[in-house]
Amino acid sequence: MNQNNPIIEFSQIKKHYGEFAAVKGIDLTINSGELFGFLGPNGAGKTTMIRILTGIIKPTSGKVLIGGYDLFVEPERAKAQIGFVPDRPYLYEKLTPIEYFDFMGGLYNVNKDQVISKGEEMLKLFSLWDRRNELIESFSHGMKQKVAMSAAILHDPNIFVLDEPTVGLDPRSVKLAKDFFKSLIKKGKTVFLTTHTLSVAQDLCDRIAIIRNGEIAALGTMAELQKRASLPGNDLETVFLKITEEEQETFSHKPDEPVKK
Amino acid sequence: MNSIQLLKPAFKKIRRVFSLRSRLILFILTSGSLIVTGVIYYGLYRFLDYVGRAPMLGETFGPLVGGLLVSKLLEMLLLTLFFMVLFSSIISALSAFFLNEELPVLMASPQPVSRIFRSRFLMMSLESSWMVIAFFLPALLAFATAMKANPVAYFIYPFYIGFFLLLPNICGGFFALMLGSFFPIRQMRKVFQFLSIIVLTGMIFFLRSLEAEKLLNPSYFKDVSHYILSLQIPLLEYSPSSWLHKATMTLFRNELSTSFTQILPMILLIAGGLFVLNLFSVKFYRESWQKSMEAVENQVLGLEWIRKALIFPLRFFDKTFRVIATKEITTFLRDPAIFSQIFMMGAIVFVYGYNLSILPLKDIPTLYSGEINDSLVFLNGPFIGFILASIGMRFVYPSISMEGRAFWAVKSSPVRPERILLIKFLIYVIPMFLLGITLCAVTNLIFRVSSPVLFWMSFINVGLISMVVTALAIGVGTVYADFDADSPLKIAGSYGGFIYMISSGLFIINLLSLEAYPMYRFFFQRFVPVSRFSAYYLTIVCVVLLFFCSAAWVYIPFRKGLEVIDNYEPE
Repeated sequence: MNQNNPIIEFSQIKKHYGEFAAVKGIDLTINSGELFGFLGPNGAGKTTMIRILTGIIKPTSGKVLIGGYDLFVEPERAKAQIGFVPDRPYLYEKLTPIEYFDFMGGLYNVNKDQVISKGEEMLKLFSLWDRRNELIESFSHGMKQKVAMSAAILHDPNIFVLDEPTVGLDPRSVKLAKDFFKSLIKKGKTVFLTTHTLSVAQDLCDRIAIIRNGEIAALGTMAELQKRASLPGNDLETVFLKITEEEQETFSHKPDEPVKK
Repeated sequence: MNSIQLLKPAFKKIRRVFSLRSRLILFILTSGSLIVTGVIYYGLYRFLDYVGRAPMLGETFGPLVGGLLVSKLLEMLLLTLFFMVLFSSIISALSAFFLNEELPVLMASPQPVSRIFRSRFLMMSLESSWMVIAFFLPALLAFATAMKANPVAYFIYPFYIGFFLLLPNICGGFFALMLGSFFPIRQMRKVFQFLSIIVLTGMIFFLRSLEAEKLLNPSYFKDVSHYILSLQIPLLEYSPSSWLHKATMTLFRNELSTSFTQILPMILLIAGGLFVLNLFSVKFYRESWQKSMEAVENQVLGLEWIRKALIFPLRFFDKTFRVIATKEITTFLRDPAIFSQIFMMGAIVFVYGYNLSILPLKDIPTLYSGEINDSLVFLNGPFIGFILASIGMRFVYPSISMEGRAFWAVKSSPVRPERILLIKFLIYVIPMFLLGITLCAVTNLIFRVSSPVLFWMSFINVGLISMVVTALAIGVGTVYADFDADSPLKIAGSYGGFIYMISSGLFIINLLSLEAYPMYRFFFQRFVPVSRFSAYYLTIVCVVLLFFCSAAWVYIPFRKGLEVIDNYEPE
């Protein structure tokens, strides 16, 4: 991890849906080569942040820099650096995986040879090569997730944004996926990952942010989080529950007071 | 909880769709719809009033034959209405009974199956009938006005139509329930979409084969008695449409008690049908729904050679254009529902061509034949426009919605939304333009157009229309995109599809009104020299306005579509 080379920078990101504030002014920097875990309970604002990061939705205010490019000023350059795997792998069902790769490759301006070689490599890795000519509509959730993951790597992006990437995968595939994420880091790529499987986050992440009610409740390495929760030596699950419970208490008892960081 | 309460989520979804729209846009579109409805009503009323008097047949014989002609037209309209609703009800029923996303939750709930079925039946009846009612009711009320019906008839008649439309829906419900009991429904839905289109196409040919135009010309018949007899024979004896036809005629003639007696068999049949359908639902619905859950999707890659042939030239284009066009063509050709639509559109184009080929141009007195021929050529462009708009509604309008939930892939990619819309426009405008130009060339040949002004004018019209209706389909299709819809047919039949057709109609009216003055001044008054400066001045204004308006009709829906894509947030 290169701490002096920020690759993703969120500045004062806010997202409001009418009266409801889903994200309340988040500042966050992720460095190049970092495997960053973004955790939080349901409805905390994780998916909203991911959608803002990938340009799917616009924040109400704030700025996002990706590799130095402002996502809202130079969206093409910023988005070209990201490979995104959504939490629910909705894909074009009437295409085969190979055709889907061709489509995604074209959107990211990748040459056909690269699409073919990367696609083949990934399908073989995920044991889908034999089914490359079948329509995606016949695939299970896990298989679609693997196709989405494979498509995200075609343009060799610097940043991988993975929203719940292990949901629906069998244990063998989870192991494969974890190894794959580690291999990306070895290649100097940056991974921004959300997951509810805390063991995956604990095993993989260099740093973790815990988001609750649209704000960062805790941020740091595993050791820093343990210290923050006053639970040295405990696993991430215990630390996560302590921090989110603390926050819940803060919010339920003293709504007007600022949250301690 | 009753059946209507089970429909609350569906109603709330519709309300949400409306609440998201700008009030001004809704107001403009609703006003536009009302204007079109008014035009249909008044135009048809004037036509029926004229036909009803049939002044060309004399004062005694005219009203007698005219009345029979109006009655015949009404019968044809009701028969068409019945088959249209029957066709759409079967497809809606398969979707509402078996594929609706709320069903797993409802089936797992302790609600009685008959109640769930009734809620689905109501849903499919509304879905299959509302658009048909919107288009046909003003036409039917025009018959009432032309026949000088009492005000009470206007109040009663919508109930007659409501009952009448229940019948094809009951038939559709029965059929879907039976299909679900014996066949894998996900496959059957696609097969049936195809079959029902064939039936509907058969219906179009049947109605066309009646050669209604001959009824307007007694010289086609051996003698008067033969002619009157041919007008009195029902199209389909003992059919619901013939019962409604009789009841309508007596209602419009203000014979209320006779009308009620005539509508009674239909009401009894509906009551019996609903009762038996309810029994069937208790016996078969849950089981057939469970079966539908087990079926797998179609994995057959059919017609690959057509797909490969179509995508081959794309390799010479820009990469982004190539992949988006390839994806459109591939998903289009792999959706079996689309073939039935192509078949249907082919039939409409054929019937249009056939209608033109049998126009009795040779019967028109020589002195006026040139003028009438020229008028037909001038109006032919807009007619082709309506065909193109219907095609656009079925194939182009659903294009953005059919991206479905996979749209995140495009939205998160580095391709700008305006480029995506532009590429989609280019993909569809080429076939639309080619089809329009071909139709125009063929019909110009049939009309034997001699004037170069009219000849080239018709091509310019069709060119403008094909561009605008394609842009409207892309733009309105984006504004009213339904990324959850599972079939292009359902998307085309939605409120947005209706708005698209209304907008296309308004554009064609806009085009005609701007062309009317120059065409009249320079062509139809060609023997009067154009000398006045104001004539030239007004013509230039009209031409400039025509191109300006066409550009606005392309630009505004695009702009609105872009705003929607920009603000689109997946569920």
